[in-house]
Amino acid sequence: MSDWLSRHRWEAVLLVVLVVTIIGNAALSPFYLGFGNFINLFWLSIEKIIVVVAMAFVIINGEIDLSVASVMGFSAAVMASMQVSGDIPFLLAVVFGILAGALAGLVQGLLIARIGLPSLVVTLAGLIGFRGAARVILEDRSIGDFPEWFDRLGQQPLLGPIPLALIIFFAILAVAWVVLERGSFGRKVYIIGNSADVARYSGIGVSGVKLRLFIVSGLTAGLAGVLFAARLGSVRGSLAEFFELDIITMVLLGGVSIFGGSGTMFGVVLAVFTVLNIRNGLGLANVDGIMQTGVVGLLLLGSVLVPNLIERRRTRLPAPEP
Amino acid sequence: MKVSPATGMNRGSGRLRRMKPERVKELTLIGIISLSVVTFGFLIENYLSGRFFNRVITSVVIVGILAAGQALVIITRNIDLSVGSATGVAAYLTGDFLAANTSTGPLVAAVIAILVGSTLGAFNGLLVAYGRIPAIIVTLGTLALFRTMLSLYSGGQNITADTLPDWVLQFNQVTVVSFGDFDIRLVSLVAVLTGLGLHWALARLRWGRRLYAIGSNPEAAKQAGLPEQRLVFWAFVGSGAFAGLAGFMFMARIGTISATAGAGLELESVAAAVVGGVSIFGGAGTILGALLGASLIKTLELSLVRLPQVSEFWRDAVLGILILVGVLIDLALQRRLSRRPIAAARSDSGSSPPVTVGEHSRASEGAPDE
Amino acid sequence: MSESAPVLTMSGISKRFGTTRALEDVSLILYPGEVHAVVGENGAGKSTLIKIMTGIYSADRGSMTLAGQKVSVSNSAEAQLLGIAAIYQEPLIFPDLSVAENIFIGHQDRGRIVNWDAMNDEAALLLAKLDLDIDPQILAASLTVASQQGVEIAKAISLDVRVLIMDEPTASLSAHEVNRLFQQVRSLRESGVAILFIGHRLEEVFEIADRITVLRDGRHISTTPTNEVTEEVLIQEMVGRDVSDFFIRTEHPIGERVLKVRSLGRQGVFEDVSFEVGEGEILGFAGLVGAGRTDVALALFGVAPADTGSIEVDGVSVRLNSPRDALALGIAYLSEDRRRLGLSVPQSVTANVTMATLKRYTSSIGLLDSIAERDDARGLVEKLRILTPSLSTPVAQLSGGNQQKTMLAKWLNVNPRILILDEPTRGIDVGAKADVHQFIDDLARSGIAIVLISSDLPEVLAMSDRVVAMREGQIRGIFGRDQATQERVMTAAVGTA
Repeated sequence: MSDWLSRHRWEAVLLVVLVVTIIGNAALSPFYLGFGNFINLFWLSIEKIIVVVAMAFVIINGEIDLSVASVMGFSAAVMASMQVSGDIPFLLAVVFGILAGALAGLVQGLLIARIGLPSLVVTLAGLIGFRGAARVILEDRSIGDFPEWFDRLGQQPLLGPIPLALIIFFAILAVAWVVLERGSFGRKVYIIGNSADVARYSGIGVSGVKLRLFIVSGLTAGLAGVLFAARLGSVRGSLAEFFELDIITMVLLGGVSIFGGSGTMFGVVLAVFTVLNIRNGLGLANVDGIMQTGVVGLLLLGSVLVPNLIERRRTRLPAPEP
Repeated sequence: MKVSPATGMNRGSGRLRRMKPERVKELTLIGIISLSVVTFGFLIENYLSGRFFNRVITSVVIVGILAAGQALVIITRNIDLSVGSATGVAAYLTGDFLAANTSTGPLVAAVIAILVGSTLGAFNGLLVAYGRIPAIIVTLGTLALFRTMLSLYSGGQNITADTLPDWVLQFNQVTVVSFGDFDIRLVSLVAVLTGLGLHWALARLRWGRRLYAIGSNPEAAKQAGLPEQRLVFWAFVGSGAFAGLAGFMFMARIGTISATAGAGLELESVAAAVVGGVSIFGGAGTILGALLGASLIKTLELSLVRLPQVSEFWRDAVLGILILVGVLIDLALQRRLSRRPIAAARSDSGSSPPVTVGEHSRASEGAPDE
Repeated sequence: MSESAPVLTMSGISKRFGTTRALEDVSLILYPGEVHAVVGENGAGKSTLIKIMTGIYSADRGSMTLAGQKVSVSNSAEAQLLGIAAIYQEPLIFPDLSVAENIFIGHQDRGRIVNWDAMNDEAALLLAKLDLDIDPQILAASLTVASQQGVEIAKAISLDVRVLIMDEPTASLSAHEVNRLFQQVRSLRESGVAILFIGHRLEEVFEIADRITVLRDGRHISTTPTNEVTEEVLIQEMVGRDVSDFFIRTEHPIGERVLKVRSLGRQGVFEDVSFEVGEGEILGFAGLVGAGRTDVALALFGVAPADTGSIEVDGVSVRLNSPRDALALGIAYLSEDRRRLGLSVPQSVTANVTMATLKRYTSSIGLLDSIAERDDARGLVEKLRILTPSLSTPVAQLSGGNQQKTMLAKWLNVNPRILILDEPTRGIDVGAKADVHQFIDDLARSGIAIVLISSDLPEVLAMSDRVVAMREGQIRGIFGRDQATQERVMTAAVGTA
């Protein structure tokens, strides 16, 4: 146990913060601890937290993907425009929407993994460019009138009280957890995040792993975009705008190092849970959305500043034996 | 290319080699802008009118100022994503002050806006330079934080034009001198003069040159004893100050200010700087380049929408592509310049990504490295 | 010369890193207008000494006196203010700034406004003084390494240095460039600067130095005027130990030739390298840092492929364009740079041991068989006697010797047929060193062909069946076990006529 604690100090801190928030929220509202509220908690941010899972991989690998929110909008726009043109079955439009996300990831991945451009710049261009593409497709229209089954999937529970998006999230989370912590791919992601050179000298195909990561990131964002469209019942060019901030914050708050190489899915899940609870609690206390965003911004700064300060105090001690 | 063995310099084309890559980039940009103006002139009727010129020149002001500040930070291998929010905060607070003190003149208002922006920039600089947090994280956080503070302060109330002093609404129209239909507006003049002032400072002041040095090779900068933390801090303060000035311009241009004022400008400013040849790897690029980058973006933006085939919604898509092209050219230039015969083969890909994401701050474990 | 007052005196300097003794009671005196060479094997303490002089490390004991005044230096900027500057093998330049700016950027005394014309003129003057034909206005990025070093020397002169430290400045220069560098050094000496010259090539040291100090194992061995010492004496002082101090390799038969290398070359790095290694053979590579040994290894491992010549494995000609190609043929490479290229230190011992063999543990759905992983890791940890609290301990928490063994375990887990070991015992303690030697011998006896690159000459001689001496990118001699004496191999490696 003490071994676990020494290696998962950050997760332990998060756990305490989480418990405190839950107690605080329960004190604010008698309905807070109900199962319905639990479902609601996730449902309201479900698209973001699906993308968080993929983003964790990207950041552990030492890269970043700023474009995810724009890719969400782009995918939804592709789907919606195909629905309007009406030439193909809507299910196919959904598939094309999700694939558009994967394609966006592929293009960015090629520029990063094969040409060697920094992911920060490529995905910044992606952030602007794919949002632009969504606007080109939709202009200032709002497209709704999706088939009834689609809206129902997005807006109503599927299994008992649980909606489809939540099922998808937990399925993705389970797979991602296993892949990151037990899979060969996950191991490579950590190794590359620590040192791409060490990975290369060990015969690991570094650029192949990076390329696949960005494709998966795009695919996930595409899926999230389509799910968001179903929940909203309509698509605009601005769908999911500025979500990237929340998404990256949750990953970093989960103890994933911005320099890559460290972090656990457990920590990320705790961070997701914490952020959702804090937002929920602030909502219960009648604090508006933009204020909640500010709190998330503060959390982001704190989640990097605090370990930095701890690290610095530790490095003042005598250097470890060579 | 023939290389003389003695110095490794190409002797034949001395003049061309002597021309700094920055000059090359600036001239190229001027060429591209001229070329696109001429092309649009053929495609669009009445394109080359004074009215259109005036529109471009006034609309480029805000992005141009922000791009200048952004370039200041990028040159040191950092980035400032909070400038849009800082612009909004400065615009709103200044507007609020003016509404309460309607006798205030433009100069005092501008100073207030700049002070507000500098304060926000100092907060960023503190966290980046002394807190050792990567700039992208700090400014992503303050992007949200500044906006939230503004929203709290405003309480959802907009500042409307009718509460502001009269000079505000005319400020954008003030013309210094006209050449026929072509006006030189005060706002444009201020933007160009401050931009060129900063350009001069970076080219001529010891302080400016050291910013380049830090971005070019942080390790060597440390060895040379340059005050890295202090310089990076002041670069962020500078970026904040320019965001403050942009906020003042924003207030004067729009008149009505909401809590979302200036949102999205951070990306446009990064785009303008990168398109203007400011290297995202740090150490290279000029303020003049950033201003030209902003001008190119605005010219394309305002011209494309006048083409019947292109809708206004193309704006961001074009911007995204422009950034990529800018970075690709920069990468190509860099690979061509650094041709170190032996060392190059060993390190795998030349340069590491600069703006902090790849930069390791982990303490190395004090071992003898012999 | 020794009449004049010393400019810098280091006395009784000691420095330890954990249990490793880097410097022990080392004293050194520098006089103005002398070139003082410091020579010694890798690990002798040369770099540590420089780093103490420039304030990167602080000494545990001892003092530093500059022009009669006791000084303490806590960073390189302070050292520079005191007039101590250093030039390294890889020049520390600002690639995006012009040559003139590179020279003057660190100056505090030139006012707040840059006077470009004056600066360019002054830079031109400085460069001319050094007989360097470099345009002060071009970007430093476009210069060759040699010219960049010239710029650094100009910078040092402009700062009015009293002590200039040159850390292996010739390592990546051609013979012609070395000549020019030495001219610059001589003109500096004439102007009264004290130059501390760290060199590996003895002929260069003899050409340039007035006095030579030998360090060995962190201790001061001798300081002698150049004209009173011979290369043979220096080599003996540098090596110091006898081969008999080492583990001696057991006799055993050598099998089929596994690896044949014919006229291998890479432009500007090494050329015409040919050798063969048999099953169970240990082929030693002796030579100085920068002789091209590591570059040959990197070509064999596919990191930096050769552009001429051929490589045959089991008689079949192969192309090696990536480490994956090499590993597929059973070629493994233990890097000299453990931290940067060898281990992922934040990760567990198990993860590091299985790093190069993940495929073996991966099931059809991409999951790792962690039980098999731990079994293999445990086996190797026991076999190599790696001291670790557990298999899941991050490698960063192990000592240097155990980290080195972990890296060896990683490559043994590949079951290589050809194993290239690059400085396998550098920077580890005596006990771990003996262990590593034992394992290398065991490995050879199990039939693996081993290429052993080491700058520790007695180690190479004790361990190898045959020894290749390399110098300046070429093989200068291959010695059988009975012909390979320290003097012969060292002579071939340092290149005396």
